[in-house]
Amino acid sequence: MNYTDILASKFEPETTGTTIMAVIYDGGLIIGADSRTSSGQFVADRCADKIDYIHDRIFCLRSGSAADTQIIAKHVRYYVDAHAQELGRLPAVATAANLFRNFLYEYKDSLSAAIIVAGWDPYKGPQIFTLPLGGSVIEQKWSIGGSGSTFIWGFCDSNYKDNMTFQEARAFVLHAVAHAMFRDGSSGGIIRLLNVTKDKIEREFIDYKDVPVK
Amino acid sequence: MIFNSEISGQQQHTTSPVVTGGSVIALVYNGGVIVGTDTLCSYGSMATFKNVQKIAQISKNTIYASSGEFSDFQQVVKELAKIDRSALQYDDGVHPSPKDYGNFLARLSYKKRCKINPLYLQNVIAGFHNGERYLGLVDIYGTYLESNFITTGFASYFCKAIIANYWNENCTLDQAKQVIRECFKVLFCRDCRAHDVIQLAYVDAQGAHIEEPERVETKWDFNGFKSRANEKLHTQ
Repeated sequence: MNYTDILASKFEPETTGTTIMAVIYDGGLIIGADSRTSSGQFVADRCADKIDYIHDRIFCLRSGSAADTQIIAKHVRYYVDAHAQELGRLPAVATAANLFRNFLYEYKDSLSAAIIVAGWDPYKGPQIFTLPLGGSVIEQKWSIGGSGSTFIWGFCDSNYKDNMTFQEARAFVLHAVAHAMFRDGSSGGIIRLLNVTKDKIEREFIDYKDVPVK
Repeated sequence: MIFNSEISGQQQHTTSPVVTGGSVIALVYNGGVIVGTDTLCSYGSMATFKNVQKIAQISKNTIYASSGEFSDFQQVVKELAKIDRSALQYDDGVHPSPKDYGNFLARLSYKKRCKINPLYLQNVIAGFHNGERYLGLVDIYGTYLESNFITTGFASYFCKAIIANYWNENCTLDQAKQVIRECFKVLFCRDCRAHDVIQLAYVDAQGAHIEEPERVETKWDFNGFKSRANEKLHTQ
């Protein structure tokens, strides 16, 4: 490595080089993420929670620059909170997605942020919106993101089914994230799962020793 | 980026590494020298090759490991083995000592560095010769040094403190192994290019012993880790 490379790598921005995933099943949706935040080759946070809270039934998964996505999520959280207060009922997932989209689109030249917005609302049930780098919004039944996702497109394309049960969907997310963590150096640690339904949200912590592929 | 040599027709080794191996940690102990590596070769950020032996036995009483470009590691193994074999020509039973290998590698690395065509490696040579322990480091520029403990790559940042606090040059083999395992636990937690399956090899008066790969145990089920949840930051 020459000197400029070494210097450059010292100042690599903190990113969530990561594996994030959300899948709709019959009755709700499951969100999964790894727990590694990396700054170049250094693991800055080995137990991160990448499942970010926007509202009681709306969450976002962040990938790209940690700084960019954190501050955008903070703004969207504020806007959604104010909006929900005025509305007097649960906000639509599409609303949160659109607010994210406005940031990502207007400032696309300055930001490095890709977001998955996932949640449940009383109007359309469970929904997932993927917002890639340029600020487009695409609604999907399942979505994967982050650097680790490149390793599991084949796995996910082969194993996804419509209308899975909770158990099937949980196993799908768990194995997919585990496979991505197995191959991606920027993903690792433990797996955090979140089940979002009409009635509740349930977190699950998958210890490293229980990760199915390692 | 290091620029290509202007000498045409010359084979370029690496201008930037492609397949890389991670940290090497080596310590002396009361009966010999021990070297530890993990068993991963990365292709950029991808953990492509997972069961790789990165410690080579060069001669009866010398072992060699390195971090950096893996193809260069394999080439160096060939070069060092050539020396051992050509010593047979003299038919006098004299074989190169570990220090001879270290010195050769240092001169080779320096020559390549001067041609702006380096072997992209930080090399560790370990051996036991005439009752003396030997541990040498040769880096990408050909810098040569002998020491009682050596770390390469990320381990130089994280593991020197662990080694300084838990190891001494007259500890037992088991104590040295434990220190190396602790070092690799930390590396697995904090180095993106590290793997938790490691391999240990040691050289003592009986010769070189390369052990089977083993997985180190890391702890992830801290209460703080488990209970961490972003919604707690934003709701009552």
